[in-house]
Amino acid sequence: MDEHELGIRNEVYASFVRDGRAPTAAETAAALGLGVDEVVDACRRLHDGHALVLRPGTTEIRMLNPFSAVETPHRVEARGRSWFANCAWDALGIPAALHADAVVSSECPDCGEPLELEVRDGELVDGADLLVHFVVPARRWWDDIAFT
Amino acid sequence: MVFLRSEEHLERWLRRNRWEPGASMNATTLNELARRWWWTRVEPDWRPRTPAESQAILDELGLTGEFWRLT
Repeated sequence: MDEHELGIRNEVYASFVRDGRAPTAAETAAALGLGVDEVVDACRRLHDGHALVLRPGTTEIRMLNPFSAVETPHRVEARGRSWFANCAWDALGIPAALHADAVVSSECPDCGEPLELEVRDGELVDGADLLVHFVVPARRWWDDIAFT
Repeated sequence: MVFLRSEEHLERWLRRNRWEPGASMNATTLNELARRWWWTRVEPDWRPRTPAESQAILDELGLTGEFWRLT
């Protein structure tokens, strides 16, 4: 992952945080004064390096971990807007990445009961009694990151 | 990775999906893991961690053993 790719990666993340949605390759290219093909090629390499996740078979962004570009059961309210997270870990990763207080809304996958957690000044002040479970061992997290 | 209401809900969910149990922690530990793992993610000077650096974060929280080995 070279400086050129990191610059594109940083613009994609900044755009997502600013606008609340993943930019297209054309938008990122325009923002950086680059060609679209150049951005697409860099995003493929960033995907291969696990620095972002593209939707399979496309150049569309699926994940900018801890953010999700698509709707999920894990919603995070922070900085006066809401985001979707890819999983429980990422849901708590959004307030960490934004250095912000947040309310996380999720649901128990067993019974569908809504669950709420709150992070304030970095501490979990609500939802601390909830259980978290990892099904996939660490070595296999990236085998199928959407399932993980 | 999911949040669940309790061990009872976890066991029922695993049984229904016919999945082997993985690893559990409480939400407070996950919050600490999230802070250490994601803190610099949107910073302009972010750089990818090495596997050893990521493993060290897991180790520091007591997440050790085969399940938590990244490589």
